[in-house]
Amino acid sequence: MSERRACLVRPWRRAPVAFVGRVVAAAILALARLAATAAEPDLDEEAAFQAAAAAVAPSVVRVEVAGVSEAGLSGPAEASPAAGPSTGLVVGADGWIVATSFAVPKDVTQAVVTLPGGGRRVARVAGRDLARGLVLLAVDLPEGTSGLAVPEAAPRDSWRVGQWTLVLGRAWSAVEPSVGVGILSATNRAWGKAVQTDASVSPANYGGPLVDIAGRVIGVLAPLPAETAGMTSGTELYDSGIGFAVPLEDILRVLPRLQAGETLAPGILGIGYASRDPFTAVPLIATCRAGSPAAKAGLRSGDRIVEADGRPITRVAQLRHVLAPKYAGDAVDLVVERGEGGERVAARAELVASLPPWRRPVLGIVPRRTAARPAGAAPAAPAAPAGVVVDWVWPDGPAAAAGVVAGDRVTMIRHRPAGAGEEGGTLEVADAAALGGFVGGLEAGDSCELVLDRAGTPATVTLTLGKQPALPPANVPPREGDPEAATIERLEAAEIAKPAWVVTPATQPETPLGVLVYCGPPGAGAGKGAAADEAARLAAGRWKAAATRYGVAVVLPVSADAERWGREDIQTLARSLDGLRLRRPLDPTRIAFAGSGPGGAFAWLAAEGLGPAVRGVALLDAVLPRQATVEPTEPGRSRAVVFGSLPGAAVGRVDADVRRLDAAGYPVGILPELIGDALPAETLCSWVEALGVL
Amino acid sequence: MTRHHRRRFVAAVLAAGLAAGAARAATPGETIAGAARRVVKLYGAGGVRGLEGYQSGILVSPAGHVVTVQSTVLDSESIDCVLDDGRRFPATVIGVDPRRELAVLSIAGEDLPSFALPGATEVAAGAGESVAGRVAAGTRVLALSNLFAVAVGDERVSAQHGVVSTVVPLEARRGAFEAPYRGEVYLLDYTTSNPGSAGGALVDWRGRLVGMLGKELRATTTGVWLNYALPIDEVALAYREATGKGPPPAPPSDDVAPFDAGVLGVVLVPDLLDRTPPFVESVRDGSAAARSGLRPDDLLVAVNGRSVASRSAVQKTLAAVPDGDPVEFAVIRAGEIVICDLGPKPAARRDP
Repeated sequence: MSERRACLVRPWRRAPVAFVGRVVAAAILALARLAATAAEPDLDEEAAFQAAAAAVAPSVVRVEVAGVSEAGLSGPAEASPAAGPSTGLVVGADGWIVATSFAVPKDVTQAVVTLPGGGRRVARVAGRDLARGLVLLAVDLPEGTSGLAVPEAAPRDSWRVGQWTLVLGRAWSAVEPSVGVGILSATNRAWGKAVQTDASVSPANYGGPLVDIAGRVIGVLAPLPAETAGMTSGTELYDSGIGFAVPLEDILRVLPRLQAGETLAPGILGIGYASRDPFTAVPLIATCRAGSPAAKAGLRSGDRIVEADGRPITRVAQLRHVLAPKYAGDAVDLVVERGEGGERVAARAELVASLPPWRRPVLGIVPRRTAARPAGAAPAAPAAPAGVVVDWVWPDGPAAAAGVVAGDRVTMIRHRPAGAGEEGGTLEVADAAALGGFVGGLEAGDSCELVLDRAGTPATVTLTLGKQPALPPANVPPREGDPEAATIERLEAAEIAKPAWVVTPATQPETPLGVLVYCGPPGAGAGKGAAADEAARLAAGRWKAAATRYGVAVVLPVSADAERWGREDIQTLARSLDGLRLRRPLDPTRIAFAGSGPGGAFAWLAAEGLGPAVRGVALLDAVLPRQATVEPTEPGRSRAVVFGSLPGAAVGRVDADVRRLDAAGYPVGILPELIGDALPAETLCSWVEALGVL
Repeated sequence: MTRHHRRRFVAAVLAAGLAAGAARAATPGETIAGAARRVVKLYGAGGVRGLEGYQSGILVSPAGHVVTVQSTVLDSESIDCVLDDGRRFPATVIGVDPRRELAVLSIAGEDLPSFALPGATEVAAGAGESVAGRVAAGTRVLALSNLFAVAVGDERVSAQHGVVSTVVPLEARRGAFEAPYRGEVYLLDYTTSNPGSAGGALVDWRGRLVGMLGKELRATTTGVWLNYALPIDEVALAYREATGKGPPPAPPSDDVAPFDAGVLGVVLVPDLLDRTPPFVESVRDGSAAARSGLRPDDLLVAVNGRSVASRSAVQKTLAAVPDGDPVEFAVIRAGEIVICDLGPKPAARRDP
């Protein structure tokens, strides 16, 4: 007899003991079938599937949203994908039921639950688990009724990848649960928050249980994505052979808090890393945010995390496995190595639900552009002394006030806390990225000491950090170069039907270029043939001078649809930038999108689509598009936003957008009227240069 | 169940009971091979704008009757029917059950391998069996079909496996077209909603015919693609109706006009959105609604036990209640479910 068969029979002997009251009839039937079909293992399994489903079925309820709160009247009922009934699982005999945020979106305060017996009850939303996309419902049971059937949880140590799993739902019918069968595909998914199954998981059984062959519940099915971006993302995985379930054990652990009405949020530590790829990055704290749990625990920018909750850490991904399952209010024990000597410092941080938006603090210097090196790697050329050479100083900025001049080399920075007795962090400055990370962890108004190398002579200045200005200063120093040597070409790439045009200045090839993506009217530059090409080159030629003066490659995308900018254009743009990166080194701190009219709205959406790599967005004669999501800023995710209007165009109503962006932490400003030139090349290219401010 | 069937059923039970372990059970491969001989590949019209020109069918008589789904594939001058052994026959449509969207084709064959439908009067020796009645949720089932037309020539149709997920009434649509059949179907826990699968055979782990695979449809309630099959008893009824051996086919049910709840004296909050929650705006004095105790601001959650999530769902559900039948609303009022009995449903004409 195979091992699988043995597994199958063993829990069977236990099942009737565990569920005597509920499943006698089903068990007898199944045992009878089991006996009758003993020669056919496949049918033994069939009987076991049915018995396991019958064991849990009394705990599976139907959940429907009935009406919505006043605040949400115009929203969720229409916008939510939970258009139909969904499923819930009993977790407390006295009326506690777990469902998903997919079925009961935020702003919805009550739902209707149909109990397995058929009775409908109004359920109130008792608590929410935002980290796992779950909601706890409470129903009042009629006087004198017996409690609801609470299923047995399958303990973690019983899970085996490859074991049979069943999924149950009640969306199709309140009378009979639907059943699906698969295997346990993986445990410890979604950074430790979920297990995975290949059984059919869809909106029809979200909120239902993932059941083992003994009729015990492993978890609650949920549209949990690998990266928990939003409450309902991940639903696109249905019918894909990938389904997730949040372990019931984990839910039961926080059940008392949810019952007490708490909203459980993901826990935030408040640190930023040097690299964004969690699988290769060493857990070096690039930015330790002022006032964050990490800062309060005594961590500093430049520390390297080596242990979390007793587990050794060598990569950011490992740290994330420890942190992601935690909620705000949970604590994490960290050990960091600090400084040259690798002093080990232990710290305990208590995670929080949110931090105020990050307002990027700056020194007011613009470093000289140097060839990029991979994050975490040692400086490539030992010949070049460490430090950051000041290319130009922001007029009237903190560094200018402290007497920093172009050509100074910043070799060390020391934070000087206001409170007496506090010790501030110190950083031996290796490069601009490290300096930016350190400064990012401080706040505007903080005092810093800079150690400079001024033509071989050390100097020390003290300055007070300012906030990143959104607009460029009036006199950004221009670069040398022949504008006419700039090239204009198509960014050809495979599978791109309408390649973008790019204007590349003829500067030294190793100097990284800034990038300005300018989206004009849809359809521009799309024409075929020599005459259309000539016209497009003529239009692009007007960018040559500004592109050369400020070291910026100007990308002019062409919309796929001549009438409008669309989603597919974002994909094309991302690939165009990849193509450009292969030709010339690009400066990651100076990538900006701009556009006018519909192109401006598209520029914002494209920046959202490409994420934190985009450091600035300029909207000319445009406001934020309706579908814009303005996420609060955090270290590594902020961008300067400027509005402006072209000559002759009506001034848009941007006040509301300015307030919205400012509240979320973005540097935001309105460009002075762009006079004279219908194409604001000079202003935009100097702005891209100014984005490199530290 | 015919006497013949009953005898065989008893024999099967005895065999299972007595021979436990002694009789060698068919391997899954043998089960699939046995059932696949009775499934055919059909090629007809189509191939334009997302409509496939192929589907599946099931042989249900040794003389060459094939059941399949009624579809645009059959709107063709010539329909090709390819058997498991690669033989190719022209097929003609000899009957249709428009409600269940099932068509019967005929090919000029003899002694063809076939399944015996429940209630068949003549059962050939060696005919494949059908299950008696319905199978339960969790039953392991194989789907055999001309999936994506990947099986060419004499290649065997594709086999997929999973379980019956549940048995529910079909509430589905294809684009804006609502499926005419509202009877019960098996939902499956694996993806059969694919081009070419419609008309294929659903068989249990013993190779007995359980149902016929349905079309590519989406659920009206959740919008997910449905993987469903028409249960064998419905297939048998449809076969008899289509071949004139049963009662005349019922015409496809036309969409009934929504019933205005105003006739009962209820005014619902106006439809501002597609899915405006069915809140009661006002109740007309002296109306059936007023007598039932319905009040403004009540939120309807069910009409005669059926969930209603929107104003349009209320009107649709009311329309399905026959005139004169009792109407009962379940509403939420101050966090409690309250049942309101509105009495018999009047004819759908608003009184002056």
